[in-house]
Amino acid sequence: MTLTRGTKAALIAVIVGVMCLVLQPYFAWLGKWPAAWTFPVNEWLSSGVGAILDLFKPVARGLSWLLAFPMDGASWVLGNTPWPIVIAATAALGWRLGGWKMALLGLFGLSFVLISGYWAQSMRTLALVFVSVPLALLMGLAIGVLAFEVPRFRGAVNATLDVMQTVPTFAYLTPLLFLFGFGPVVGLIASAIYAAPPMARNVLLGLERVEHDIREAAIMSGGTRRQQLLLVEIPAAGNQIMVGVNQSLMAALSMVIIAAVIGGFDDIGWEVLLTMRKAWFGQAFLAGSVIVVFAIVIDRMSATLATQRQHYDAKIGWIILAIGAILAFVVRIDPAEIALLDGVADVVDTSVGAFTAANGAALDSVKNNAMFYGLLPLRIGLDQAVLPFTWGFQWQPSYSLWFFAAAVALAGLCAARGRMLTGLTILLCAGILETGIADLPWPFVLVGVCAVGWASGGWPLVRLCAILLGLILLSGLWERALLSLYLSGAAVFACAIVGGLLGFWAAVSKTAWVILRPMCDLLQTIPLFVFLIPVLMFFQIGEFSAFLAICLYAIVPMIRYTRHGLTTTPDDLIEAAKSSGANTWQTMREVRAPYAAPSILLGLNQTILYAFAMLVIAALIGTTGLGQSIYLALGQADIGLGLSAGAAMAILALIADRLVQGFAEERRKALGL
Amino acid sequence: MKTSLKLGLSAIAMMAAGAVSAAEMGATDEPIKLALNEWTGQHVTTHVAGEMLKAAGYKVEYVTAGMMNQFQAIADGDIHATLEIWSSNVSDEYAKKIEEGTVVEIGDLGLDAKEGIAYPAHVADLCPGLPAWEALKACAINFATAETIPNGRLVDYPADWGTPGADRMTGLALPFKAVPAGSEGALIAELRASTEKKSPLLITFWQPHWAMSAYDVKFVELPAGEDACFSDPAWGPNPDAINDCDFSPSRIFKAGWSGLADKWPAAAEILEGYQLSVEAQQPMMGAVDVDGQAVETVVAEWMAANEASWKPVVEAATK
Repeated sequence: MTLTRGTKAALIAVIVGVMCLVLQPYFAWLGKWPAAWTFPVNEWLSSGVGAILDLFKPVARGLSWLLAFPMDGASWVLGNTPWPIVIAATAALGWRLGGWKMALLGLFGLSFVLISGYWAQSMRTLALVFVSVPLALLMGLAIGVLAFEVPRFRGAVNATLDVMQTVPTFAYLTPLLFLFGFGPVVGLIASAIYAAPPMARNVLLGLERVEHDIREAAIMSGGTRRQQLLLVEIPAAGNQIMVGVNQSLMAALSMVIIAAVIGGFDDIGWEVLLTMRKAWFGQAFLAGSVIVVFAIVIDRMSATLATQRQHYDAKIGWIILAIGAILAFVVRIDPAEIALLDGVADVVDTSVGAFTAANGAALDSVKNNAMFYGLLPLRIGLDQAVLPFTWGFQWQPSYSLWFFAAAVALAGLCAARGRMLTGLTILLCAGILETGIADLPWPFVLVGVCAVGWASGGWPLVRLCAILLGLILLSGLWERALLSLYLSGAAVFACAIVGGLLGFWAAVSKTAWVILRPMCDLLQTIPLFVFLIPVLMFFQIGEFSAFLAICLYAIVPMIRYTRHGLTTTPDDLIEAAKSSGANTWQTMREVRAPYAAPSILLGLNQTILYAFAMLVIAALIGTTGLGQSIYLALGQADIGLGLSAGAAMAILALIADRLVQGFAEERRKALGL
Repeated sequence: MKTSLKLGLSAIAMMAAGAVSAAEMGATDEPIKLALNEWTGQHVTTHVAGEMLKAAGYKVEYVTAGMMNQFQAIADGDIHATLEIWSSNVSDEYAKKIEEGTVVEIGDLGLDAKEGIAYPAHVADLCPGLPAWEALKACAINFATAETIPNGRLVDYPADWGTPGADRMTGLALPFKAVPAGSEGALIAELRASTEKKSPLLITFWQPHWAMSAYDVKFVELPAGEDACFSDPAWGPNPDAINDCDFSPSRIFKAGWSGLADKWPAAAEILEGYQLSVEAQQPMMGAVDVDGQAVETVVAEWMAANEASWKPVVEAATK
């Protein structure tokens, strides 16, 4: 019998797992990585990076001084322009970009910001975005062109972009603060770092996709390489680059809020933090909605740049602007006086309270059931989670034996029917469930991940996994990394199932998508902090709240990509299936689902990255693990701990990303895409 | 007549303040930047100080800054003073900067704070015998949750503020597991949800804080926190452990940029002499957080009504 790669990998993992289980009572070092084998990485990083930072500090401070000019300028202009003009200018811009629809979007969007009472703070946030986005776009363009022009760098550039996107911002805020000094410039640079990668990726993609004959024509007309690039290829890649601009804008906006943690700029993010600190849910939600409105306006307007658009008459734009200017003379109301929505915020606030009061028992039982039967066994294993208080009886060592015996029997049955891989997977799941993710022996995790890596991407991926996981082991962050792995793993699992089902529902029913789409938009644009509010109120501090918050954020890509994959199956394939007599359900299972697999895997990949990003934010409601370490390091200004915990987090995200991409690549090849 | 009375008063104030002599004003054309941290009490404290500096003839700028992250900025001279630092909640970085000499302490604020193990009033019904701490031994199971079983749950400070609650539970051998809250908002949400659901809650908390009265929070009575308790295991109810007592009284103090006294000598003296009591701060906090007034208005009203308590400090430094 020949074994597939996947089966071999699972077999290796099972063997190592069994060996660990059997040998663990005799060799304590198998269970927990001994502290004596770790290196004081935090101290090394603190002193090493500290010295480097000291070296660059003067340069950085100079840059900081320079950036303060456009920053102050933008802030001054937006802060001192009367609000009717700002609103009219947005509407006029909307008109130029997309006609009446966009003009009205700008008008209503900014009017909402006005009546929310957060006008001044919002304008400061906007100023920050206005300065950080061009910076990010320039950086992204430069990186993208470099990667395109010098293919040797492409691998390194891709790795750098991955690092920029996966290392949590909280982890590098402290070094940035040290380098650039206190103030909005730190937030500006942090958001530029986070917003540059989508631009770079899209520039590279766009340039790669420029058609061959266009390129040839440019070469034949005899321009220099720079002329070809600037005059022909970049314009030809315009639409793809505009997608990058759109994504950059969104990324910058989401990051501006996170950077508010360090303060220095009385912006809308600071307002969200202040109200959250007082547990004023209504107000925090209102401030959060302002950001959502900004996000929607900016997203929709910049999205028009990426599509072919009609020409809209500039005259009407000028007229709109003129109306604004006239209004500015007539209406002289201080925006700080306008707070029409405070009543709404109060109502939201009291109704959340009333709901909690009325349904306290029900909410508690939801939480307890999820903890007792789901999260706790996953974290510490059935052997410790099953107690008289939780399940009504005490777990005995003999139960473990019966449990494993049942798993082996089931696995044997599967193997006998020729489903070896399913059988081995059952064994692995049983072992993990009995032991608990946080208590898994490290050799099992290491070998298991490497084996999956081998099945997914061959030896290069094994090498990558082994080196990166080894780094976490040596740094002494292993236990915290396992806790993070458990929480995000549980969330990803739940998202994959629920999100997959919702995506499927949205693919088969138009009504479903009409309901789900705005919800997806809302969940993706609302600042991450705001998720914590209702969750916290209903379920209080703890892992279940963190789990829910992560799920809320990470489920969106799963829904979107599943639907996208299922609905974009080429028509001729479906026609062929129908003509050979397949009903809707058969078409779905036999044609659409396999065709959608790469897209769904990509969605899973995004879900994993989103879950890790949210993990750090969830530390604000009391999770343990790497997220807490990063937050702690930010508070203590501990550069070493922040960087090492941030790196560990990025490592976990990177490995998960590579594993899933490996499988997606394989599926794509199998489908001949 | 009026002036002479004023002079007399300020002379008395001068003596009371340890005979500080009037100092140079320094660079009055450059603004003094004061840090505004994340909580309302600190906003009140800072605005009162700012108004005092303005009364002395200085320009003042308020800069929002994270409590934990502000010290680098103060060391760099980007922010010139921060006026409400809690000894219980100060980052290691502060100690580093003090050691470097880039940040200097400028005296106690005079705010009389208390930290302790606390509970909303309705919890007394769920655990008879409170506020005496011994009562917690028997009813710990009433506070148990999925994550802490078989122990009770104590909601502790966010991890970056230290683990004083957990230390108490270990010291007093109480069957409680401390769960770090993650943020102040999470602590308040716990208090609010517990009050609304009438559910059990034991929490590490402090006063002055607006939530103390809003959610009718009571402190558990613990053995007094004497020095011996933190060093000598034999002291206190538990003969085998330290920390078997209440929190040691927290100190609230002010700190500033090392160049403050050279650049604005009189301002440094004002900030050093500045005192604010709980009795003054708490009603102002209430007016902001409960009644929804602006900090500036509340502080301006207080300044007008209570000249006697701040003017002498300003005059001692400037006249």
